Amino acid sequence: MEDLRLFIYRNFTVEPLFGKFKNPQFSGYDDISIPPQDFDAIIWFYQLPLDATDDGALLFIENLKNRLDLFLGYNISATVILFTLHRFFYVSYQDSSWHLSRSIADYNNYLYSLAEKHRNFKVIDLSKFAEVTNPKPLIDWKYYYISKMLINPALSGTFHEWFVKQLNAINTSRKKCIVLDLDNTLWGGIIGEDGLEGIALGTTYPGSAYKDFQKGLREAAAHGVLLALCSKNNETDVGEVFEKHPAMELKKEDFVAFRINWTDKATNIAEIAEELNIGTDSLVFIDDNPVEREMIKKLVPDVTVPDFPDQPYKLKNFLKTVYEDFFQIYKITGEDRIKTEQYHQNARRIVNSRKFASIPEYLQSLEMVIKIEPVSSFNLSRIAQLTQKTNQFNLTTRRYTETDISNFTKNGALVVCASVADKFGDNGITAVSIIKKGKNSQATIDSYMLSCRILGRGIEDAFLKALLNHLYRNNIKEIFAEYLPTRKNMQTELFYENFGFKIISQENGTKKYRVVVHNEYRIDPCYAIVSNIGKTDER
Amino acid sequence: MKDKIKKIMASVFMADEKTIADDIRQGDFEKWDSLQHLNLMVALEGHYHITFEPEEIMDMTDLEKIIRYVENKLNK
Repeated sequence: MEDLRLFIYRNFTVEPLFGKFKNPQFSGYDDISIPPQDFDAIIWFYQLPLDATDDGALLFIENLKNRLDLFLGYNISATVILFTLHRFFYVSYQDSSWHLSRSIADYNNYLYSLAEKHRNFKVIDLSKFAEVTNPKPLIDWKYYYISKMLINPALSGTFHEWFVKQLNAINTSRKKCIVLDLDNTLWGGIIGEDGLEGIALGTTYPGSAYKDFQKGLREAAAHGVLLALCSKNNETDVGEVFEKHPAMELKKEDFVAFRINWTDKATNIAEIAEELNIGTDSLVFIDDNPVEREMIKKLVPDVTVPDFPDQPYKLKNFLKTVYEDFFQIYKITGEDRIKTEQYHQNARRIVNSRKFASIPEYLQSLEMVIKIEPVSSFNLSRIAQLTQKTNQFNLTTRRYTETDISNFTKNGALVVCASVADKFGDNGITAVSIIKKGKNSQATIDSYMLSCRILGRGIEDAFLKALLNHLYRNNIKEIFAEYLPTRKNMQTELFYENFGFKIISQENGTKKYRVVVHNEYRIDPCYAIVSNIGKTDER
Repeated sequence: MKDKIKKIMASVFMADEKTIADDIRQGDFEKWDSLQHLNLMVALEGHYHITFEPEEIMDMTDLEKIIRYVENKLNK
């Protein structure tokens, strides 16, 4: 299981939870702009922001559905694992409204409806993890505040075990076909002895229970379960029941394979699997005869063999259990069932009115504001910290102390940082650039980095454009830049090229660039730029 | 204590113990990124049954400081 290649969409720091997998990849925080490719499983792990008010949480869920719809547009063929929303923390105010609970339930139901529609979509109920008993608290607020971790990192091991169990259920437990006996299974009595009129099947008990059982099987077949027959009988007797018995709910056409003969059932079952081109591990064998069941368990051990109920009236629950245990891993409670139609309607409404046609529209909807500030005593330590910590989107990965940075500014360098806010809140200072001015109209970008939590929304381009425009307005038009490769910053390897910079030299992966700016860059209006750097210059 | 902490560091960073020098510092050791730093803190907290404060976590950026903080906690 650990060698599965995972891609995780998230809005929290969840790396420790999936850390035991081989090289899992994570989206930027709240970012779904990159369609993942070449993964075994795509994981949708979004949870309510812990600092959201009820109204904020409602808005979050609303937007999350939009995001999900955009994600659906990627038409992922890999397994998609959707985690349900779980309320990790809330204060039970006396006048708390039920809107939020309902909205969470609606969202979770929507996930289940997607899983019904798409074969490769699976839902994992995160509240079940919250129920896993563990003395450690679910949230360690310290790690939440330091690093936006939702789940206590000390629970990572527990989470991993639990998650692998869920994955195993997805991979192995799902069966495809029910192989059924006839006598005392689909009807009461033995057709070969009791005859067409003698078997119990009809409107009075126990015949009514068998009739209902058949009805249930037909319903299961309508939901994708394959049915096959395997019975020691004379084919003509059985044919007669199908053709002539008025209470037969199941018709011959409902079955995909028949073995009505006197051969041993182990051989028959192996043949059925072969005929249907499925593994024997996809079969569930239902037979009232314990000797037959024992034989299958011994001779074809991959086949699932549930105990048969001792009374016909127990067939009702028996079939429900068989279906839920072997054909549908994720149990939908009765309440959810009732809501099925509701959320189908909701889903349509979302598709009709709220679905974004494109990434630009999605970005537009985020109402992003990029606030650019020059270094000051308020942000100096954060800027130094970002140079120390940023690994992935960092063009040069030069680590600086606060003193280093103060010295740069003293020597005339431009040190700026950007904070990005959107309608969900403010991510704080998440981007830094250090630009050293050269002679005349030249400058060199010494450092350029973005925290991974804001990646993938085009902010990296917008911020750079804003910086270049600022330089341009100050008559600095010839810009130099560098890319220094590290083990972690591969994703920035082509950043400057793609932006339009020209390579002037290249050695051992290190690249130097030059660009001459002739016009101000146009910044897409989905990014509102609030720049305070010009103001400092004028002072 | 120092050797034990080095062992923990090596296992968290998935690095050879020999590469964990006495003067190891977060900024100099590539595998010691911000995320591994937190993993290291969790591992230390778990191993010594102590808890660090956020300020301490942010300050424990080299082996020497880590040892000092852990010892302080254990002596309390």
